[in-house]
Amino acid sequence: MGERERETKSDVLQGTLDLMVLQTLDAMGPLHGYGIARRIEQISEDVLQLNQGTIYASLLRLQQRRWISASWGTSDNNRKAKFYAITRTGRKQLAAQAQNWERISAVMMRLLRLAQR
Amino acid sequence: MLTWLAILASRVRGLLLGRRLDEEFDREVASHLELLTQDNIGRGMPCDEARRQAMLRFGGPVQIKEQQREDRGLPFIETTLQDVRLGVRSLRRSPAFATVAVLTLAVGITATTSMFTVARAVLLRPLPYAQPERLVEISELNPLKGWTHTVVAPANLADWRARNTVFADIAAYIGVDDRGASEYQVFLSGAGETQPLKGIAVMGNLFDVLGVGPMLGRAFTFDETFEGRDQVVVLAYGTWQAVFGGDPRIVGRSIVLSGRSTTVIGVMPRDFFFPNRSAQFWTPLGVKPDVFVKMRRPHWMNTVARLRHGVSLAQARDQMTAIASELERTYPDTNTKMGVRLETLHGIMASDARPTVLLLSGAVALLFLIVCVNIAGLQFGRGVGRAREFAVRSALGAARGRLVRQLLTEGLVLSLAGTSLGAAMATATPAMLLRIAPSALPLFAAPRIDRIVLLFAATLGLLAPVVFGLMPALASSRVDRLSERTGSASRHTTKVRELLVACEVGLAVVLLVGAVLLSRSLLLLRQVDPGFSADHVVTFKVRLPRTRYPKDVDHIRAFGEIERRIREVPGVQAVGATSTLPLRGTTWTGDATVEGRGVNDYERELRHESVTPDYFRAMGVRLVAGRLLNDRDGAASNVTLVNQTLARKYFRGADPVGRRIKFGRPLEDDPWMTIVGVVADEKQDRMNQPASPEAYVPMPQNSQNPMTFVVRSTNGLDAAIDSARRELRAVDKDLALTDVAPLTDVIEDSIGDERFRTMLLGAFAAVAMFLAAVGIYGVLAYVVSQRSRELGIRLALGAKRQELFTMVVRQGMRPVIAGAGAGLAVAVALTTLMESLLFGVHAVDPTTYAVALSTLTAIALAACAMPALRATRIDPLIALREE
Repeated sequence: MGERERETKSDVLQGTLDLMVLQTLDAMGPLHGYGIARRIEQISEDVLQLNQGTIYASLLRLQQRRWISASWGTSDNNRKAKFYAITRTGRKQLAAQAQNWERISAVMMRLLRLAQR
Repeated sequence: MLTWLAILASRVRGLLLGRRLDEEFDREVASHLELLTQDNIGRGMPCDEARRQAMLRFGGPVQIKEQQREDRGLPFIETTLQDVRLGVRSLRRSPAFATVAVLTLAVGITATTSMFTVARAVLLRPLPYAQPERLVEISELNPLKGWTHTVVAPANLADWRARNTVFADIAAYIGVDDRGASEYQVFLSGAGETQPLKGIAVMGNLFDVLGVGPMLGRAFTFDETFEGRDQVVVLAYGTWQAVFGGDPRIVGRSIVLSGRSTTVIGVMPRDFFFPNRSAQFWTPLGVKPDVFVKMRRPHWMNTVARLRHGVSLAQARDQMTAIASELERTYPDTNTKMGVRLETLHGIMASDARPTVLLLSGAVALLFLIVCVNIAGLQFGRGVGRAREFAVRSALGAARGRLVRQLLTEGLVLSLAGTSLGAAMATATPAMLLRIAPSALPLFAAPRIDRIVLLFAATLGLLAPVVFGLMPALASSRVDRLSERTGSASRHTTKVRELLVACEVGLAVVLLVGAVLLSRSLLLLRQVDPGFSADHVVTFKVRLPRTRYPKDVDHIRAFGEIERRIREVPGVQAVGATSTLPLRGTTWTGDATVEGRGVNDYERELRHESVTPDYFRAMGVRLVAGRLLNDRDGAASNVTLVNQTLARKYFRGADPVGRRIKFGRPLEDDPWMTIVGVVADEKQDRMNQPASPEAYVPMPQNSQNPMTFVVRSTNGLDAAIDSARRELRAVDKDLALTDVAPLTDVIEDSIGDERFRTMLLGAFAAVAMFLAAVGIYGVLAYVVSQRSRELGIRLALGAKRQELFTMVVRQGMRPVIAGAGAGLAVAVALTTLMESLLFGVHAVDPTTYAVALSTLTAIALAACAMPALRATRIDPLIALREE
């Protein structure tokens, strides 16, 4: 019961984070969790400060849906880390969601502009 | 949709691999933190600070891990597993409760499942024939003869076959007793010892009507029905396996059956049986064709017919009734008032067992209710005991739903244990039931445990505790404050528990009354005088093969010789033979006339048996008037004995000795027989039915084959049988004696149905009473422990211990009296339904109710006495110090 409530509250945020992770992996190729988190922070120019741990909830969700895959590898500085890569279904999903996101943000922009007048 | 599946698969994996994934995630988090720390150091932070900052940026690794764990698996199942563990642990802490509950449920499941197995085998499972619902039995009825359901005459059958348009075909068979068990016996000789086989003789089209073909070889052709072409046999699968070792080349093999060379033409499939499992073979009727043209009397064939597609039973009934009236007009002599009766084959096969099975199924349903109520009561009691635990957990933040869920899970754990145990025990019961009820259950369907039965048990076992456990669970989880652990809440639950006990007692009383009624019936039935004295008497049947004993004189000589030889065995007091042993279900009948009566005043279907002179001494049948038969009463002597019922019916106190009767109707030309004596009535069909008129003629006058021998001897039963077998071999080494039974067993077999249902209902009632006693004891013991302080104070203030005892017992008996009252009322209503199963007692029988009530009172008082005794032993000082 409680679980469902939590999901609905943070749906938008979750969805956004998932999309960011997918996009990052699509653009950068396989990355470990820390790499993804750092990349997202860099891109957002530190506008978005996330608890890096939350990225793992998103990674789990994407894995469960088989949109990304994971395997253990070695990082740049020779440490063992788990690397994530986007899958084919993940790419399709990314395309669909990106389009969706653009539509919604366009609508939002229009709506906000209207409200300002 | 696929995404959804992928998520589920991954979550199940998460559930299964929980620990490994935990470790993996730990490593991943560690490596993440390490990388973050390194970067921080790279930015010039000191080592400690770098690590601290990394933790902050990452955000509570413990929460993240917790979250991960929850998202990864199936929390619902994990919680349930946790509840199960918790449940098992808490049940282990109260082993007494757990044991009682599991055993109670196991007993309930065993009884219910066993009865379901039987009911399914007898009433529900379809017969192993093609479209069995279209199979119909046709029998004849005749109000003039008092026939409601009798075998048919061959010529009538032939006319039905020729004239009807409602049946695809009608087949006939002979050689079954009134329960459908095979009686037609042959002796297989050749390989080793002569072996008796039982089967039935059939019309060639039987297997076509049933719609089942042999698995090997072929079925009969219609022509093979008749004499001359009838030396063929089809074997049952079991016979083929057991007797012929599954010989793959059995078809075409020639075997010797009762001295006749016979060809095996087929083997039926394993699941096939007809008319029940006792048939080991099928062989043609072997009659002359003109039997089907001329013979409208006697009636001796069983039938089975297949309805055409689209024809209903009612339509078939209408047409067959019309045909019967046509025959009545054409053959007034034989067919006056001769009607037909059509029943579904399944209905006919199950009809004997139906009332018993329904009664016992109803009883077992009541028993199961008691089991459920008992478990509910137990859970209530435990709930009260655990109120403190729940109050603490609820204070620590457990939601009420969570507590209820835990209680239900505990219930499920209990029921899982109880159901498994019960189902395991139920697998043993069909064999046991069959052993104690060889005749009460129709042999045509072997009860066995299969998937459906197990499903039934599982459904009952899992559903019942959930339903009956819900109420106590809700009640005991309703604890808001710690202080409520005693006081009003427990008084409330005590009331509920007393109500439950009253229910249990009520239900148990219903069963008890039923059981007492049946027991009294059985006792009365056992006291009925069968008209003969059964102790120290053995009986067995001898059939002479017709190939070597073709004529009547051969029979008379052989049977006479056997009797003479056995008589000379030391210790044998008397030996006789009869064509019809009492209480074995079959008999010869024929219309008969008493001299001096009007044209239409004759005895319809008078029973008659052919006996040797010493039959009456061997059986211990009393002579009432005149003389018994003797060896001078030969083939042409034309004498007869009659039973008392016939004497009463036709001579009203006048002396029948010297009067004459004949077989045949008044105007028919049959020889008159002089009545030379009157003997006491023997019970004929069943112990619970009054005797019908009957005549006994000397064997030479009306020779019959087979004959049943009756030997009264001081040698002990086994020795008597051994010596009889020896003498039989001495007469003809190929003869075998069959149907060996002490006469006492013949009586016991005839009341097998009554004994079976009495035993079962008695067992159910005993279990019910025991459970009720447990319930009574449980509540009262709890009440006493709750009131120990009050009782202590009473004692301290000078109450006598005896007064306390009475007080506690009175409280314990309160729900018992309420329940007994309600139960008796229900019993009156329900037991009238079983009136037809009773003998010598009415459903509303004061003695029965008195016996049931006093039994209940005794048991209830015993259950109350133990807690009450404990109340009197309370030490006031200790009781007061407890608080």
